[in-house]
Amino acid sequence: MSTDSFREARTADVPAAGAPQPGGGSVPPSGRSVRRKGLSERNRPLWMLIPGGALMLIIIVAPMLLGIYMSVLNLDQYTLRKWVSSPFVGLENFVEALTDSPLLHAVWLSVSYSLIAMIVTVPLGIAAAVATQNAFKGRALIRSVFLIPYVLPSFVVATVWRTMFQPNGVVDSALGTFGIDPGLWLNGPQTYWTLILVQIWASWPFIYLLALSGLQSVDHEVHEASALDGALWWNKLRYVIFPYLKGPLSLAFLIGMLHHINNFTLPFVLFGVPAPADVEVLPILTYVTSFQSFRFGLSAAMAFVSLVLVAIPLFIYLRAVKLDDAETPGGKK
Amino acid sequence: MRFASSARLAAVVAAAALALTACGSGSSDSGSTGGAVDGKGKKLSVLTGVNAQYSAQQKQWFTDIAAKFKAQTGADVEFETFASANDELTRIQTSVVSGQGPDVYSLGTTFTPTAYATKAFVTLSDDDWKKVGGKDRFNPAALGISGPDEQHQAGIPFVSRPFVMAYNKELLAAAGIDKPATSWDELAVQAKKLTNPATGTFGLATGYKDNFDPWKFIWAMSVQAGNPLVDGKNLKLDDPAVKKAYETYFGWLTKDKVVDPASVGWSNSNAVAAFAAGKAGFLLMTTSSSIPTLEKSAIVGKYAYTTMPTTAPGESSPKGDGDKAASILSGDNVVVADYSKQKDLAFAYIKLITSKEEQLNYQKIFGDLPANNEALKSLEDPKLKPIADAAAKSKATPFTGAWGDIQLALLNVTVQSIPELSSGSVSDSALQARLKDAQSKAQASLDRASKS
Amino acid sequence: MTATATAARSGSEQELRPGSKRQHEVTRLLPKPMLAIILGFLCALVLIPVAYIFLASVNSDIGVARGEFLPSSFSMENYSKIWTSVGLATGLTNSVLVAGTTAIVSAAMSVATAYVLVRYQFRGRLSILRGLLALQSVPGTLMVLPVFVLFSSAASYLGIQVIGTQWGLFITYLTFALPFSTWVMVTYLRGLPKELEEAARIDGASNVGVLTRIILPLSWPGIVVSAIFAFLLGWNDVLFASVMTRPESQTAAVALQIFGASQEGGAIPLYGQMMAASLVCAAPVVILYLIFQRYLVGGLTAGGVK
Repeated sequence: MSTDSFREARTADVPAAGAPQPGGGSVPPSGRSVRRKGLSERNRPLWMLIPGGALMLIIIVAPMLLGIYMSVLNLDQYTLRKWVSSPFVGLENFVEALTDSPLLHAVWLSVSYSLIAMIVTVPLGIAAAVATQNAFKGRALIRSVFLIPYVLPSFVVATVWRTMFQPNGVVDSALGTFGIDPGLWLNGPQTYWTLILVQIWASWPFIYLLALSGLQSVDHEVHEASALDGALWWNKLRYVIFPYLKGPLSLAFLIGMLHHINNFTLPFVLFGVPAPADVEVLPILTYVTSFQSFRFGLSAAMAFVSLVLVAIPLFIYLRAVKLDDAETPGGKK
Repeated sequence: MRFASSARLAAVVAAAALALTACGSGSSDSGSTGGAVDGKGKKLSVLTGVNAQYSAQQKQWFTDIAAKFKAQTGADVEFETFASANDELTRIQTSVVSGQGPDVYSLGTTFTPTAYATKAFVTLSDDDWKKVGGKDRFNPAALGISGPDEQHQAGIPFVSRPFVMAYNKELLAAAGIDKPATSWDELAVQAKKLTNPATGTFGLATGYKDNFDPWKFIWAMSVQAGNPLVDGKNLKLDDPAVKKAYETYFGWLTKDKVVDPASVGWSNSNAVAAFAAGKAGFLLMTTSSSIPTLEKSAIVGKYAYTTMPTTAPGESSPKGDGDKAASILSGDNVVVADYSKQKDLAFAYIKLITSKEEQLNYQKIFGDLPANNEALKSLEDPKLKPIADAAAKSKATPFTGAWGDIQLALLNVTVQSIPELSSGSVSDSALQARLKDAQSKAQASLDRASKS
Repeated sequence: MTATATAARSGSEQELRPGSKRQHEVTRLLPKPMLAIILGFLCALVLIPVAYIFLASVNSDIGVARGEFLPSSFSMENYSKIWTSVGLATGLTNSVLVAGTTAIVSAAMSVATAYVLVRYQFRGRLSILRGLLALQSVPGTLMVLPVFVLFSSAASYLGIQVIGTQWGLFITYLTFALPFSTWVMVTYLRGLPKELEEAARIDGASNVGVLTRIILPLSWPGIVVSAIFAFLLGWNDVLFASVMTRPESQTAAVALQIFGASQEGGAIPLYGQMMAASLVCAAPVVILYLIFQRYLVGGLTAGGVK
């Protein structure tokens, strides 16, 4: 049923959307919601949206507009002090960002590295969540241990890995005992993979946490039903449990990607500036442009361009997974 | 917020009280430059670099200075610390844009030109100089990077931290070297004698992946060969002297093989560690801040400092200003924010910390050389002699707002060459291309600087 | 209301209390060997670098810089030094205060917001949901300068001092945490059946009543997760905290960063103390999680642990 839930929610803009839906999946999650109702329109407590909305308008949207305004100014160290009166240069910064800067390369690096890291962390996170779902001795401890990489501040993680990856460091000597000479980790083309590796280490618990919360919404009856079926563990996971994770994981995927794309501290501390060309990712580029070269206008333009470039796939993705419309738990089949 | 408003209240009350007492006594000197500044109830905010090596001592110093300042002016000082040059940049920018922040900043010397370009810091008038104790109290060499010319200076020298090299006396004696080299060519020869890969001992210790060191080498060797990098509006990174400098610097690793192959991935601290373990003859590009590490190490009592070579590679004697370019003019300047509403108080603070007595005290605790001329001259410790020499032989980096970009471009050449360095050689064409790229990027930045 | 909730949990579950043997067998997801392999692998993945951090914290700084795994010398003194050198006590207090408040407030606000977004239809609902995600993609480096300008003009024009206060930091983190926290709650609340709410409404409960008495008790896992994320956002942030705090309002992450970033010039960073301080900083979060993780048991299956 999720196939047309998008369309369905569209029509739900019209009040009368209460059309009965076919109950769907092979395993009905519970006896409930065979007949699905449209969202309520009466007595809406819309005021509950106001505090959060106001905060976001003032502290995110307003500064963002200010940032966008800065992108059409020739704002650098010579004009910074009276920035309101810095010369207006129109789209010049945008043109420079797109034609005469490594911006597009940086976008490509950022997106591809984030994606690779994401593809590895998702199975890790799910495995961890599934493995700690059933009680066993020491589970509480293990669950906490899993959280450690996420709890350590980014720059500590980066410092630790930088010391471990230095030439003749711990990693090299460990690999050396197997006769492997891995080459340079913190310079040259391999840095790209170093960044991915460390990013994976630092961020899989994020997926794990979201998957864990998704698992909690699996009804007990679902377990019972599949136990009665005598389903094999793999089939049970694949067809019964995973559908529940779809919602949280689609969200995790999206947010995880954005976190990776915007992660500044990790590449900055791992590789320093100027970064090797293979890891000159977006945040490093904008940072260097604004805080080393002092070209705030150009940097704001870069950030804005990258925002747009990232937002387009984001919305395509949103539509594809129907994250914003899915009305049923985790978009069950 | 509660705190802030109560502070404001206190300030108002204090100001009122002040006004009353002033009227009452009828003989106030109306805050003229000669008299002590009255800062009762005020609070001066000072941003300075954190000193991780001496953190307890630094906190103590903050307390002591605050107490002395309070005794002199009646005002409080609040110290804030920043972690790194990058953190400081962020702080400066946000403060400059918003016109709100610390009153006094402590800046690294190479950053002073950029800060000056923002026009957000006070360019001192003669009167202002008097308020900080007179220009003549400072070591003239230390004023070299305070402003574009003598009439326009914003940076008030606080300490000097010139770069020198350390050498292992025992290793040098064992290799039959009686005196550390004074030219880069000779240094390479000596380093070869000291190198013994079998024992893991190398002639030189330096970090190719350091975020600052590489450009300092290139700058020094170029200046010594007669190319100061910036010539008016023109940048000269595509000059043969610069290329030669890179070749020499890279050559220690690829041709001479006098540095640990692992040093392609080292930062300066790894080099210090190697030297401290007795695995290197020379430690290049270091400062007096390596003393605490070395004093606790295996080579305590076996090392000494000396100035780095001043004769460019391939030359027999220094050219141009070369003999004055043993080190970049390095250390800290203090600047006063233009938006500060208590500039006189800020000047009074600077006067206090640059006094002979406080400068000597600071030297004793942290090892940095005084910028105060009298204090500098009164130093007698023989260990400090070569460092003081290097201070006298320091040359300022070009004073332009584009220096940050030039530095970055120089550094980038090394960063992008590291993969080839580690595989054994950097090809001539690759180096040429990177220099060309550096030249065009940094020249663009210099153009913007000269336009404004 | 509790009666309704209990009644709604079907009678057949009575003997299947969480933790009972049968329940355990029924809900088992993985065969034992598989479980052991996964847990073993993941623990190694996490614990080897953590062990390195610990070993480095008791090693000498020169040893760490030279790339040792097993320390050549051993000393625990770093753990006592950090309290004065890093200023960890103030930092930790501020961090717990700011991140803790952020977590609680953002969890509360996001439950309410998500509830409205999930259960009610109104014009702009989808736009809000998408907009929340779009806000997530705004890079922090673009925001620092404008946010600072905004806060400092609050001081110059409204006379409200924001910069340097804990609550300024709290407001910032709260705002940046809200979009994601809300989304976590949205995905979670979608999983809750409506029948309970409807029953409560028939009993005459108001919107707020439904929220606090039905939704809240059933949503603990989601709330805990979204609170953890909000907490960690504040706990780990350095970008905003480094420009918006003053010594007395500094968070632990900033104190650590200030301590850890080595200065220009040649001395070995104090690795040992930094590693010790990082472990000490991680400890409160791990402990908090140990305490709260029991709420991560399914809200429905476990009947909303109270």
